[in-house]
Amino acid sequence: MSEMTPDVVENFKIKAGLVGAVVTEQPSLAAAVQYVVDVCANKSPCEILADEPEAAVGPEKGPNGMPTRAKRIIAAPEIDKAVFADLAAKAEAQGFACLSEGLRKHLAGIDVGLSFAICGVAASGTCLVAGTQEDTRLAGMIAEINVIVLKKSTIYPDLPSVCGILRDLQKDAAVNYSTFITGPSRTADIERVPATGVHGPLELHIILLED
Amino acid sequence: MHEAPKTLSDYRKNIDEALKDDYLRKTLDTFAVAYRAGRDAVFQEVDEKTLIKQIADAKDDACQHMEELYAQFKAEAEKRGVIVHRAATAIEANDIIARIAKENGCKRIVKSKSMTAEETQLNVRLEEDGLIVDETDLGEWIIQLRHEGPSHMVMPAIHLNRYQVAEDFEKATGDKQDTDVQKLVKVARVQLRRKFMNADMGISGANFCVAETGAIATVTNEGNARMVTTLPRVHVALAGLDKLIPTLDVAMTALQVLPRNATAQRLTSYVTWMCGASPCAASPTGKKVMHVVMLDNGRTAIAKDPLFSQIFRCVRCGACANVCPVFRMVGGHKMGYIYIGAIGLILTYFFHGRDNAKALCQNCIGCESCKNVCAGGIDLPRLIREVRARLVDETGNNAMGAMMGAMMTNRKAFHTLLKFAKYAQLPFTGGDVQFQRHLPAILLGKHDFKALPAIANKSFRDRFPAIKQNVTSPRMRVALFAGCAQDFVYPEQLEAAVKLFNAHNVLVEFPMEQTCCGLPLDMMAQRKASIDVANQNVKAFEAGRYDYVVTLCASCGSFLKHSYPELLAASGKVHEVAAFSGKVIDFSSFVHDVLGVTKKDFNNYGEKVTFHAPCHLCRGLGVKEAPRALIADAADYVPCAEEEVCCGFGGTYSMKFPEVSGQILAKKLDNVAATGATRLVTDCPGCVMQLRGGAEKRGMKLKVTHMSELLAESMKK
Repeated sequence: MSEMTPDVVENFKIKAGLVGAVVTEQPSLAAAVQYVVDVCANKSPCEILADEPEAAVGPEKGPNGMPTRAKRIIAAPEIDKAVFADLAAKAEAQGFACLSEGLRKHLAGIDVGLSFAICGVAASGTCLVAGTQEDTRLAGMIAEINVIVLKKSTIYPDLPSVCGILRDLQKDAAVNYSTFITGPSRTADIERVPATGVHGPLELHIILLED
Repeated sequence: MHEAPKTLSDYRKNIDEALKDDYLRKTLDTFAVAYRAGRDAVFQEVDEKTLIKQIADAKDDACQHMEELYAQFKAEAEKRGVIVHRAATAIEANDIIARIAKENGCKRIVKSKSMTAEETQLNVRLEEDGLIVDETDLGEWIIQLRHEGPSHMVMPAIHLNRYQVAEDFEKATGDKQDTDVQKLVKVARVQLRRKFMNADMGISGANFCVAETGAIATVTNEGNARMVTTLPRVHVALAGLDKLIPTLDVAMTALQVLPRNATAQRLTSYVTWMCGASPCAASPTGKKVMHVVMLDNGRTAIAKDPLFSQIFRCVRCGACANVCPVFRMVGGHKMGYIYIGAIGLILTYFFHGRDNAKALCQNCIGCESCKNVCAGGIDLPRLIREVRARLVDETGNNAMGAMMGAMMTNRKAFHTLLKFAKYAQLPFTGGDVQFQRHLPAILLGKHDFKALPAIANKSFRDRFPAIKQNVTSPRMRVALFAGCAQDFVYPEQLEAAVKLFNAHNVLVEFPMEQTCCGLPLDMMAQRKASIDVANQNVKAFEAGRYDYVVTLCASCGSFLKHSYPELLAASGKVHEVAAFSGKVIDFSSFVHDVLGVTKKDFNNYGEKVTFHAPCHLCRGLGVKEAPRALIADAADYVPCAEEEVCCGFGGTYSMKFPEVSGQILAKKLDNVAATGATRLVTDCPGCVMQLRGGAEKRGMKLKVTHMSELLAESMKK
């Protein structure tokens, strides 16, 4: 646990906001789950960026002229079984698919990917997210919106203060793949004009959770 | 892929083209100004100087232990299922990667950005083997479609506009494209997703190779590196041996500077840590086939070089280009070969050979802006001068440099030449004491952007004995170091200083054996000659026990103070040199900090005066407050936009690259004109020469003077 102070949390919110992340505070995991389903309901259906023969196609084309999913997909790999059951029930009530694995079948794009952060870094509004399991990694990569749940008690002031956590992940592990995520996918490669959603998520939402 | 110019005259032609590219000029101009502001803002939250020092120390240490780190990294990575290779040369690295592709039956390759793969020209080799290679970083994809190389290490397509990109995308997709940037970005999202999905092999670079855990890291924004390292069943990372670091802590330190320096970000969107071969459903074994190729290509030899080993502190942030006034004018394709910017001029020499480096390495104006922001604190301007000197040693001297060297080491002959030059120029000055009026155009060539100054009728050294100093019991004795420009072109600047010093009870001496400081010689790669004159100068000031050695030339000052101890390290007179350099002080600091001159000492006539901060004053000597405070004491100080940006002079630079020099000057004078000031003051005779000549040529109603003249004119009698 970090030496959490209100300042660290406030700083995290400011810095994450500066890079275009949508930061929200939720009182409980149940509320976080509801938030994820709402995000999925309020977005336009995901564009199918490549051939996916079995995908059901909706009536409208996406903003880039690609077909869209008739049935929206939320992916939430490697999460607590009870929480997943709750999410799946709420998602299915809305007509969305909720997956915990098999994301390689949907590399053409999914609507929402849910990830759980290992810890946060206030100085840059960053989340450290696990991705050793392929589906966990894919959920945050191929989703149009990536939602990361971050416990307030795991927000640290700066990069050096999370170095030990990263070392523990790698040191005695047979394998580890993890990522510091700071805002949505972005570029300024054309005329230095800022643009988000190049290859990764178009939007990044961070749910700060009390614990 | 562009060619590096092989001769200076080819290089000038290339540069001419770049200077005519209005889009490039405008983009780089806007970028230069926005970058500085953005960088300043994100560095306010961290201790910049301390972090840079920590990076420098850690990377120096890593460089000294490269072999141990390699062994440890290899052992740790292989424990985790990664195969680590070592390639002695670029060709060997490409061979290894081509072999991995073949052994694994790979046909389609996706790549994320890797400067090391640019260094080895990996794509060329893979395509020769019939492999399909797609770059997936947006900028890299664009330049791949155009068959170009990157023009910036971080923003590879910064030289292109949206219309060019739209056209390239039309050719690639066969569809008409909107020129809206947001939509163009999405073209890449759509087009490249299927390439990620269909690829058998992903190639990435690595920003860090961490010995303690065998992990590699990539620092990216678009998310393509995560795709490249996740979707295909084979992943190959290519990295230079200089990317080895002992611990994750070093990476955490570097990550606080790299994104801030590169793009004024606190952290990039993704920093991905890959420790071992991870699960991969596309692989028949269920596990990724992962290789890391560590490239030597001369690095182990450079690591042993006591001076050049510091180039491995480079974290490839590109900041040295971002702040470079020359890059701003000509763009990256003219400011490097494969590696761009100040570090690019040096790396070209080491990685891509003398032929590619010899013209490029001339294109540094020596303003020290890069050194001032470098994430690893690399002394880039010094190393560029050093590369020039080595090229002279290896490939023989150039006629011009050799002549200068021979002439200037003989002080008497050199000074006699300067004195006679005043007769030679008579037909051209038309009686004007300031400028050469009638130089035939053929002699002037591309230097016609400024009026050239005339050699003074009588040099300062000839005037000095006649100056009556009414100082009875002096509080201090100082020696003036004149430098060639003030001694022979602007002696009145020194006379003004003597007048001011005397009024504050300071006795001035002028050691007659002093000569050129040596900086122009060093810029011309005349190392032996610059050491020679440095020795002459130290000797010339040795006898007198002066409290200070004051110079009114910021470039001389910075060279005497910081470069003499380096140049004369092997002279056997280390203490004498240290004593001399320790006493050197610039004019403004001496007047403001030592003499303690204040408002009360001046008649402030309310003249609107603006300031140009000479490179070697604000960066070379780190003097920022004193000159501005003095102007405000003596006049109405109006700050100027981009006050600390080079005026384009750079001594011999303005002779070698007059077109670039003229364009940098034009920008400066635009900013000066916008202040509405009637006088421009600066602290260096070289800057006065450039700025006064430019203002005269433009017919501006602007008086350009040295600080000493403003202060002497305004001081209370």
